[in-house]
Amino acid sequence: MATMENFKCMMCGYEYQELVEEGEDKERSCPKCRSNSIRHLKNRPSGDNTDGKSKKVKQ
Amino acid sequence: MEEVSGYIGNFTITIRKKARYVDTSVCNACAECANVCPVLKPDEYQMGLSTRKAIYIPFPQAVPCSYILNMDDCLGNNPIACGKCAEACEQDAINYDDEDELIKREVGAVIVAIGLDVYDPTEMDEYGYTRYDNVITSMEFERLICAGGPTEGHFVRPSDHERPKRIGFIQCVGSRNPEIGRPYCSNICCMNTIKDTLLLADHYPDVQCSVFYQDIRAFGKSFEDMFQRSKEAGTRYIRGLPGDIEEDPETRNLTLIAENTTTGQIERHEFDMIVLSVGVVPPKDLAKISGLLTLSKTSDGFFMESHPKLKPVDAPTRGIFFAGFCEAPKDIKDSVCQAGAASSRAGALLNKGQVQVEAITSVIDADACRKCGACAPVCPYSAIKWKKGEVAVVIEAACAGCGNCGAACNFDAITMRHFTDAQYLAQIRAILAEDPQDKVFVFACNWCSYSGGDMAGISRMTYPASNRLVRTMCSARVSEEMVLEAFRCGAPVVLVSGCHYADCHYINANRQTVKRVQRLWNKLEKAGVRPERLQLEWISAAEGQKFAKVMGQMEELRKTVTKEEIEHAMEALKPKPRKAKKEKEAAAVTG
Ligand SMILES: [Zn+2]
Repeated sequence: MATMENFKCMMCGYEYQELVEEGEDKERSCPKCRSNSIRHLKNRPSGDNTDGKSKKVKQ
Repeated sequence: MEEVSGYIGNFTITIRKKARYVDTSVCNACAECANVCPVLKPDEYQMGLSTRKAIYIPFPQAVPCSYILNMDDCLGNNPIACGKCAEACEQDAINYDDEDELIKREVGAVIVAIGLDVYDPTEMDEYGYTRYDNVITSMEFERLICAGGPTEGHFVRPSDHERPKRIGFIQCVGSRNPEIGRPYCSNICCMNTIKDTLLLADHYPDVQCSVFYQDIRAFGKSFEDMFQRSKEAGTRYIRGLPGDIEEDPETRNLTLIAENTTTGQIERHEFDMIVLSVGVVPPKDLAKISGLLTLSKTSDGFFMESHPKLKPVDAPTRGIFFAGFCEAPKDIKDSVCQAGAASSRAGALLNKGQVQVEAITSVIDADACRKCGACAPVCPYSAIKWKKGEVAVVIEAACAGCGNCGAACNFDAITMRHFTDAQYLAQIRAILAEDPQDKVFVFACNWCSYSGGDMAGISRMTYPASNRLVRTMCSARVSEEMVLEAFRCGAPVVLVSGCHYADCHYINANRQTVKRVQRLWNKLEKAGVRPERLQLEWISAAEGQKFAKVMGQMEELRKTVTKEEIEHAMEALKPKPRKAKKEKEAAAVTG
């Protein structure tokens, strides 16, 4: 299954989204500057300001 | 193959010999069993164009020439259900209770020659393969024109069993098509079609063949001659792949619509039959074999060789060799050449009787090992044996010396010969002892990035002189600790560089580099250090230009790092007390 993931180029700062296939083995490079310094940003649901780890909500 | 253990010269392989349910030593292939078998199934060998029984000989030339009972199709031995074949067999060869057999073999080398699968054109709906009876694949064509085929060589079309007079061939079905994830050329289809047109011209001179293609690749010995002969025999070659095929419901004839890219015109051609020249795909067992033998794949899904030019039949795992299609699409001649080369390579290895072990290997300190097992899964060669609760052990004959395990070990229990942690820490400190703020610190892998630097040098390319390179065998040797130490010593910028994915000298070790750099970016950010100060680049040995460009970018980046940022990182990334032992060793090396 493929999911849309967020990436950031650590060289030029460009942020973009790309479909990622499960278990894919792909060399990444920035669509803008071709740098390989591509940081995989953890997907965060909108409005969530946690670090991506689930938090228990008090009832 | 069910299981593989061991290493070069000492593999143990477990093979499952599937139950045949027929004793080959007494079966005389009289066919009495098949005559009475009531089950009819599509015959796989004839591409489903005819049927076989549940008990059958897979194909006429099969060795041994003996029947085989397919238990998935068989109605069983229950006399109420069937059991007819056993009754009919005078030789008493049929044994319904036969079982799979597991065979163990000790071998010194393994040759992987698992072949190919053929592309299934069902997904390319525009060609109507599943909608129109008279659209067939090149494999089905092969059976229809073969004397041993379902029609005994009488060439007829499926819809009405009439002999077709106008035949269209469509090339590159499932090849050179990135849209369906198959960008590679299948290598054999052009020549196969040319051969088919010559065969038709020879058997049925009144047949008109038309071939729709994007390029004809006829580059082997005598291939161009065959292509010319096909044209002289009257075959029309039309440059352009069809966009659509329509069927006349009454005549069942097919109209093909294509842009002729030579004339720029949209053309309609009517045919009695259309043959899809299907490409090849990696065999479905490839993933399983790849897991058992720790082999890796190239982006097109075939096995990756150790080196595309210098070691084209060796797998990156020592003692394993490739022959044929599983490594890349190739024709019969190339497959035979590769098979000869693979058996020679294996023969040379076995005859030598001993293997030379890599000088740079990992050694595990049994006292320091905390038995966590973090090292074993990162080894691309499966050279580390570890069981829960036990000290990990390196099989030196299998270790290629990437140093990935050393970077993964959190307890300093792994020493990589000639490239120890202590040596690296000493280098980092010595390089950054003076004016670290003016330096770009670079870890460069031996095989690609470091050589890329050499290439930039011998090509007389200019780039800023601020960089300081430390050579590692693989970029995966660079531990998180080594990068952090560089920042602690005041490095404004650290670059980790290695081979491109397809070039990794250690199968796929550099995937661990990516994971480590990702973790480091998170760590730096958490410590309030600008993560951009750590960069990652893949630079091949031929990319001197890229090396020079990257060094320029690093220098620009360095200029943006302030004194305050450097000082903050030195403080914020201070080591934890546990590292004291390594500290001592490094101090000793530095003297
Ligand atoms: Zn970029």
